[in-house]
Amino acid sequence: MTIEDKPLHIDRKTERYLEIAIPVASFGATLIGILLWMLGFEINFQFFAVGCIIGSCLLTYLAWIRPKKDIVALSTPIYAIIFFVVPTEYSVGVTLQLLYSVSLTILLIRLKYRFGAPGTAAAMGKQLADSIKTYIEQTSSSFTGVRPDTAHDAAVVFVQFAHGEYREAARRAVAAAIGQMEDVGQAATIVRAFSIVKEHSILIDKSLPRPLTYEVFRPEEYGLLAKPQLPAYDDDHEFYAVLDNALLLLLSVAWTNSEDDRPHLLACQTFALKLLDE
Amino acid sequence: MKIGKVNVKVSIVAIAVFVFFTILLLVTSIYNPEVRSQLIWLIPGLFMLLVIPIALNYMSRSEYADLEPLYEVQAKSVRIKLINESMVGKVVRVEGVVEQVHFQFLNRPQYTVADRSGAISVKMFTSPNEDVKVNDIVEILGQVIKRYIVTGDPVINCVSIRKKIKAPE
Repeated sequence: MTIEDKPLHIDRKTERYLEIAIPVASFGATLIGILLWMLGFEINFQFFAVGCIIGSCLLTYLAWIRPKKDIVALSTPIYAIIFFVVPTEYSVGVTLQLLYSVSLTILLIRLKYRFGAPGTAAAMGKQLADSIKTYIEQTSSSFTGVRPDTAHDAAVVFVQFAHGEYREAARRAVAAAIGQMEDVGQAATIVRAFSIVKEHSILIDKSLPRPLTYEVFRPEEYGLLAKPQLPAYDDDHEFYAVLDNALLLLLSVAWTNSEDDRPHLLACQTFALKLLDE
Repeated sequence: MKIGKVNVKVSIVAIAVFVFFTILLLVTSIYNPEVRSQLIWLIPGLFMLLVIPIALNYMSRSEYADLEPLYEVQAKSVRIKLINESMVGKVVRVEGVVEQVHFQFLNRPQYTVADRSGAISVKMFTSPNEDVKVNDIVEILGQVIKRYIVTGDPVINCVSIRKKIKAPE
């Protein structure tokens, strides 16, 4: 596991301990209660529900730290309180607590297999994900030296597009493309990326269909693109891949040259990951 | 059932509840004279079990019908891939294939709709105008929301779902 992949809240070992603690606490407390009753200590059985309540809270925590939330697991402490707030007799208490413990265990298994792993720093937008980092590292040398205001424009266009503010993104992209006249090796590519984003933003904003001709990157620029232009692509696929590449290129320009904008770019990281996804 | 211009649909659950309590009332009124004396209250109460869901469905359907033209103007046609949590609150138009349909019997259908770029959950808080099935190609108008209002992945709160191409029989 690389540094970028590390979990945000707890490490895998602690997570495993917490997972084991859920059935241990919920079944364990009830079994201790049964044992004490068998030994003649007739303590109010309601107290042994504390294991179920602890188990519920742990399950809620494990559900909370996952990017995909499980509303059922999150609400278990409420049910624990509803079920166990009323004093019960021994036999009713044992049955209720054991059934509740079985339910918690089933919910834990469901959480693990249906709601994925706890959020990593990358998934929670705290660090750059590996795939994006790799692309930026591959291209950053080509974009070093871009003016900070151009890089800021690239960040703004990327963020506005991610937020669905297509008209504003188009406007900013036009201004940025005009202003991007500095003598940097890849200036033409950056201008093209702005133009592509502008063209697509206008089309989306006006809900227009794909035009017959549209701006594309040149073959000599393919080395700077995140997604290769595969010959197998049909017209639609190629059209959208051009936009994905243009947005990711602007992300790389912004990340490399505008440190102040990095928190905003990180906040839109899930969008960038979707673009990178084939 | 049509009330004015609104096509009202009662969920099967509401009908089942009505039928259950009707049978219960019939049986108990046959065997219990005390229940018979209360029928003047119980029968209207029984009908309220149908009237209230019909009224609620009428209100939500007419509300959605009013919203539809507004959404039609505001919506941006986007690929599903472009929808992300930063777009919460934005009105979108999406076209895709219905992959799954859930909770239609509750009049709260939830669809999984996919286009070539990805798939997204589409929630509707009332009954749709058309009976949408798996493999239908549909156009959706709706607002991007978080699955659990404050948290969760982005989903579409659907105001209108229209069939563009019906699924093959």
